[in-house]
Amino acid sequence: MSLAAEAFVSQIAAAEPWPENAMLYQPLREDQILLSDCASSLAVQAYLRMLGLPVRVHCRANAEYMSPSGKVPFIHVGNQVVSELGPIVQFTRAKGHSLSDGLDDVQRAEMKAYMELVNNMLLTAELYIQWCDENTAAEITRPRYSSPYSWPLNHILAYQKQWEVRRKMNAIGWAGKSLEQVYEDVSQCCQALSQRLGTQPFFFNKQPTELDALVFGHLFTILTTRLTTDELSEKVKSYSNLLSFCRRIEQTYFESQDRDSQSGASDYSKGPSLM
Amino acid sequence: MAAPMELYCWKGDYGLPSVDVDCLTVLAYAKFAGAPLKVHKITNPWRSPTGTLPALKTSEEGSLSQPSKIIIQLRKQKYNADYDLSAKEGADTLAFVSLLEEKLLPALIYTQWVDAKNYVDVTRRWYAEHTPFPLNFLLPNRIHSRQIERLRLIRGDAILEPEEQLEKELYQDALECMTLLSQRLGSHKFFFGDSPSSLDAYVFGHLAPLLKIKLPNAKLQQHLNSLENLQQFCTNILLLYFPSDSREAPSRKSAVHSDGSDFDNEPHKRRNQILSVLFAVAAMLGYAFLSGIVTIQSSRSQLDERRHDDEDEVEEAEEE
Amino acid sequence: MGMVHARSMDPVPMHGRDLGVHPDDLEVVEAQQETKKEVLENKDIVVQHVSIEGLGRTKEDYLGYEIADVFNAKNLIDVMKKSHEARMKLLRLGIFKEVQVLIDISEGDDALPNGLDVTFEVAEMKRVTGSYNTMVGNNEGSMVLGVKLPNMFGRGEKLTFQFSYGTKETSYGLSFFKPQPGYYERNLALNLYKVTGQFPWSSLKETDRGVSTELNFPLWMTDHTLKWEGVWRELSCLARSASFAVREESGHTLKSALSHTMTIDTRNSAILPRKGALLRINQELAGYTGGDTSFLKEDFELQLNKPFLWGSVLSASLWGGMIFPIGGQPVSIADRFYLGGPTSVRGFGMYCIGPQSEGDYLGGDAYWAGGLHLYTPLPFRTTRGGFADLFRTHFFLNAGNLCNLNYGEGPHAHLQKLAECIRWSYGAGIILRLGNIARLELNYCIPMGVQSGDRICDGVQFGAGIRFL
Repeated sequence: MSLAAEAFVSQIAAAEPWPENAMLYQPLREDQILLSDCASSLAVQAYLRMLGLPVRVHCRANAEYMSPSGKVPFIHVGNQVVSELGPIVQFTRAKGHSLSDGLDDVQRAEMKAYMELVNNMLLTAELYIQWCDENTAAEITRPRYSSPYSWPLNHILAYQKQWEVRRKMNAIGWAGKSLEQVYEDVSQCCQALSQRLGTQPFFFNKQPTELDALVFGHLFTILTTRLTTDELSEKVKSYSNLLSFCRRIEQTYFESQDRDSQSGASDYSKGPSLM
Repeated sequence: MAAPMELYCWKGDYGLPSVDVDCLTVLAYAKFAGAPLKVHKITNPWRSPTGTLPALKTSEEGSLSQPSKIIIQLRKQKYNADYDLSAKEGADTLAFVSLLEEKLLPALIYTQWVDAKNYVDVTRRWYAEHTPFPLNFLLPNRIHSRQIERLRLIRGDAILEPEEQLEKELYQDALECMTLLSQRLGSHKFFFGDSPSSLDAYVFGHLAPLLKIKLPNAKLQQHLNSLENLQQFCTNILLLYFPSDSREAPSRKSAVHSDGSDFDNEPHKRRNQILSVLFAVAAMLGYAFLSGIVTIQSSRSQLDERRHDDEDEVEEAEEE
Repeated sequence: MGMVHARSMDPVPMHGRDLGVHPDDLEVVEAQQETKKEVLENKDIVVQHVSIEGLGRTKEDYLGYEIADVFNAKNLIDVMKKSHEARMKLLRLGIFKEVQVLIDISEGDDALPNGLDVTFEVAEMKRVTGSYNTMVGNNEGSMVLGVKLPNMFGRGEKLTFQFSYGTKETSYGLSFFKPQPGYYERNLALNLYKVTGQFPWSSLKETDRGVSTELNFPLWMTDHTLKWEGVWRELSCLARSASFAVREESGHTLKSALSHTMTIDTRNSAILPRKGALLRINQELAGYTGGDTSFLKEDFELQLNKPFLWGSVLSASLWGGMIFPIGGQPVSIADRFYLGGPTSVRGFGMYCIGPQSEGDYLGGDAYWAGGLHLYTPLPFRTTRGGFADLFRTHFFLNAGNLCNLNYGEGPHAHLQKLAECIRWSYGAGIILRLGNIARLELNYCIPMGVQSGDRICDGVQFGAGIRFL
């Protein structure tokens, strides 16, 4: 699309209100979805729930290829398709819904910076552990990623994706890291988040922002996903304020809304709960 | 006292101690932390102990190459510019460094290496002029393809989209990032208080090339120039910590201006043209001679030929 | 050596070095014998030796079948006819550049007075031939490299490799062909390929990587092909504005299918036939040999041609097809049928008939298409057999329909669905024949029966292709 057409379309998007039949697409919950994708999807779902916008979750085996940018999750609203949390935040802001309007400039700068911290360190660490650690890759990641496909396509796609991720790790300088160093980075990142959160209920003031949604998505998924070892979730558990943060958001936005909606139409993908 | 560590960096130019983002970051941090480093400014990455620049050579730990690893190593040696930071400020450092790497760095790579005019006019020319022969033919292209690959993998695209849209997205992110940095810096001298820390080193490393290296396609530079506090921040650091390099800059710039950028190339250009024409003519003549289109016969050989012809005629007559 | 002069009453041509008399055989005739010329038309002869000279890597036993028939010749005319046929058979094997026939009186101890020796002098093709082309198309250029190894092991095996490297995509194909010795029409082909296609009418891009084996054999009057194909298909959207229905089809699928084709072709030419008929029935069963798509697909093609008044030809054709998914999974967009365009129902845009979503055409489960044509030579033609012979004018009437089926209902309901909302068109145009493979058409079309959603090409439409309705 040319730039002028894009601007025009986003103007149209702004004009239409949020419809009732908005849909969110992610890979199959039981057999296919991986840790990093589940975290991103949960972050978007949490964000939309914080805004009070209804969305239905659909699981498709080819969600990754349906997405315009190749990354999950993506939402289908009206006739627009938007993927990843950053563009979705902009999209909802164009429709007049935003969580971070009340922040001043310095706070907004910090919020963006911390979101990039989560993307840069936590998400990359998740990808590393999934694809570059041979144990996890062989036992969990490759079988899950290739489960919807038949032989020999399943092996081809899994190895292709692994190769791609390893090249990316090479390009950003993570290839030389050992698993221990990656856990160390995760720990550092959690420490930074824990520091920033302190004793507040949310990261900024008393209201949640997109940073809260993103952190919740990643930390909750790490805590509730079983990998080959528990080391990753232990790193997160050692920061009690992060633990209670996750529990608080789960209780406020996920359990209570489910109790409210009788039909159970809002069907989000969550594995075991946090107790 | 252990032997002083050695740092290998890209050479400096344009008033900067080094033209490479990572090298600038490391150099700035070393100055901030007061680390006594022996700095080697080279233009041949193969000479560095790890094959890439920047590289830190220590006596015990071998050689390290990435800025984050180098800074960690310096910290271990007790050269720590973040000593005074509170835990929250340390967390902020991590966050803002991530912001720089995710939002600003791709745009920097794009504007220096992918944008066609910038690459050909400034970046490639600088690397071709400053790397020794014969590397100056190979190296710029190698770095070019590596940077493009890096950009592609960071963005996670299978193919780079059409240039205009990609440029718009990258620059938008970068402009927002710079605005956010400016807002965070406010009117302070450095990001955390009065003494510089590692975050200052990273920000300086990323912004200084943008400020000083004049590019033909300069959208990012224009935005940076409108953010006065960031501009002040960079010049401040240059004056305080790299006085020798910034003093060199004006003289070099004026030399370039007086000559005019074209004149610098003109003798080369004319020489190249003449050489290529001569080469083409020589190739054509050589081919003509070798394939027999043009032959030079001396008079002596003509005489020989006629004698041979006569002999042949005599033989034929005998046969019949 | 005697002279070999023969006056033949056969329509078999006697000129040129192709056939029959070899110029070297003719000796300088002495003056005395010039008056008597022996006419060998119906003299009985016996073919004693048939040999092939010039063989390098070709194995002799492979060629034995082709030349065996020459031994049965009874007289000189027969010898010439049979040698001509044997030469044609040798040439169609595709392993010789050139074949020359030498007929000579037999010599040697066991030579009979009426014995003849027939020698085929062949020039084998080179072991490896290569080709290099560059092609330029819409916003892209590509370089095509071809390597061919004819007659690799001496019995007619052929290995072909083609590689195309373009600005947008690369594709390649490797093919191995082995005919049965003695029965060239029975052959086996193995293919390995990667092909990319862009389909702007559906905003779809498809990359196929596949392997296939194919067995061809004639049976009585029909030609059969049995094929197994395994393809890894990758579908993606061509543009960001693709409809969501097409976006849902993106991804990877693996298709493993067995197919069978039966063809009866009695036409005198594949392009612009004057007489004869073509019937081709094809069925494909996917899913029982692996893969993740399963369906049963049937389609047929029928064409009848009959010469009419004043050199014109009347032609009727009918196409149809149906696909049934097996196992409840819907059929992928890459397997469905498409209709419309200058090569099928003229007057409509390329594949722009049938179910669509936001401007992208999704294809359908069943279709039929019929055409009635009258081909006439160009009017006011003065010379026969000249350039004007490649042109024809034609008047046509095309009709067809494409729709999705409700599989729960019976066949009566399917036929009813196909019979409603028929699109049809009529018009006239000019056809240019390109060799024996393709044709170009320039038509003026008037589409009718247009349903909402179809895209029409009203007025002048240009088409180029191999297979036309």
